[in-house]
Amino acid sequence: MVDVATALQDPPVEERTGPAEASRSPRALRYLTLALAALLLLGVGWTAATLVAGRAPGENSPEAGFARDMSRHHAQAVEMAMVAYANGQDPAIRQIGYDMALTQQGQIGQMQRWLQEWNLLPTGSRPAMEWMPDGITVDNNGLMPGMATREQITQLHEAQGAEVDRIFIELMIKHHIGGVHMADGVLKASDRPEVARMAEAMKLSQQKEINELRKLQQASS
Amino acid sequence: MSISTPGGPQRRPTVVSTGKKPAAGRPAADAKAGSGKPATPQRSGGGKGPRKPITPVKVSQGRPWGPIALFVAVGVLATAIIGYGAWATFKGSQSWQDKAAQIEGIVNFRKTDPESISDQEHRAGKIEYKQSPPVGGPHNPTWQRCLGDVYDAPIANEHALHSLEHGAVWLTYRPDLPVADVEKLASVIRNNDFMLMSPYEGLDAPISVQAWGYQLKLDNADDPRIKEFATVLAQNASVEPGVPCSSGNYTTGTGTEPRELEPSMGG
Repeated sequence: MVDVATALQDPPVEERTGPAEASRSPRALRYLTLALAALLLLGVGWTAATLVAGRAPGENSPEAGFARDMSRHHAQAVEMAMVAYANGQDPAIRQIGYDMALTQQGQIGQMQRWLQEWNLLPTGSRPAMEWMPDGITVDNNGLMPGMATREQITQLHEAQGAEVDRIFIELMIKHHIGGVHMADGVLKASDRPEVARMAEAMKLSQQKEINELRKLQQASS
Repeated sequence: MSISTPGGPQRRPTVVSTGKKPAAGRPAADAKAGSGKPATPQRSGGGKGPRKPITPVKVSQGRPWGPIALFVAVGVLATAIIGYGAWATFKGSQSWQDKAAQIEGIVNFRKTDPESISDQEHRAGKIEYKQSPPVGGPHNPTWQRCLGDVYDAPIANEHALHSLEHGAVWLTYRPDLPVADVEKLASVIRNNDFMLMSPYEGLDAPISVQAWGYQLKLDNADDPRIKEFATVLAQNASVEPGVPCSSGNYTTGTGTEPRELEPSMGG
């Protein structure tokens, strides 16, 4: 210590005695720098990783697209199923109408809850079906796969007796085929467990209901 | 104080010889940074010095630019990433109410006149409302279907208001609005759940868009605030979360007169 003190007053001396003493400090500084840099990098890496991995599906994600579009798809099915429940002639139609309406309204609630958890609005800013991996889009009327036109829905509302059953079966088989297709789409595009679980369940139950409706269709014709 | 200790013993003599103390006499952290720099060049200069004792030039070259650059780069990167994360989190966590409040010209009756919209009673027949078109108050037991329905004739306030209670955004326009403008408005509403639109007699602006407790009057069908209002408030503005927009009254058959349905089934 004292050496350095004198060394600083007398440069030539410092040149000789300095290195052994002073070289420890730059090395320590270098280690400190490296350690701090490593710590900072770790922090940066961690922040980035949390941002990327732990992140909820975003505005244009297939999950958000599915939750929004399937909610709309379901809403129409609820309306059709409620007509079947109220006006259907065959008790089996009224029963399946009740089942479908409550199931699908409940599922709408679950999908809306996802959007809330993901901090997303219920209404998307992108066109419907844009998230689908195989490029299936809405038709000329802006309808998603399987959806009925407004005229068809009005027809169902105004039908009487066995006509209700017939129109309902026809529209709902088509509707369900479209729904299964969309569920397939999100299963291809997403591995979020809650989304995959719901999409699998929709696929299975709607396929099963398609078979039931087909049986009812054959029985009545 | 403890901060300056490591370099202290070495530096104290420097102070004595050069009288540099005033600079180091600033706050402790500053003192460390300030005194650390002049010390290092001398040392590294000393490290290389033994062979060529031309100290003056080496003093200024000796700054540890490598570590400094690394620190700055990592620091900037870290700040950018953390800053972005914070910004994204803030943006993402903004509530729909905050987003609504940012729409220029929006009137929030939930704040300015909560009493005018506090009554949610179901009532038959014509009802008088404080706002035009209404944004809250008693209404018909039947709602107007709001699955992106574009009605081409006037509908009853009493039905539409029930839709607002369910979370719908109702877009109304003066009946004399040019067809091209009506089509622009329809493109915002059509095929979107929890939205409906209809012409409306006696509007005090060409276009008025409303949700339960909220209203925005506009002059121009191209105004981006129309879509913003619809997107932010549809479903969010519901005072009965989880209720549907499906079924209900889906015709314009009775015009502005509310229609009493037998079963609440639609038709």
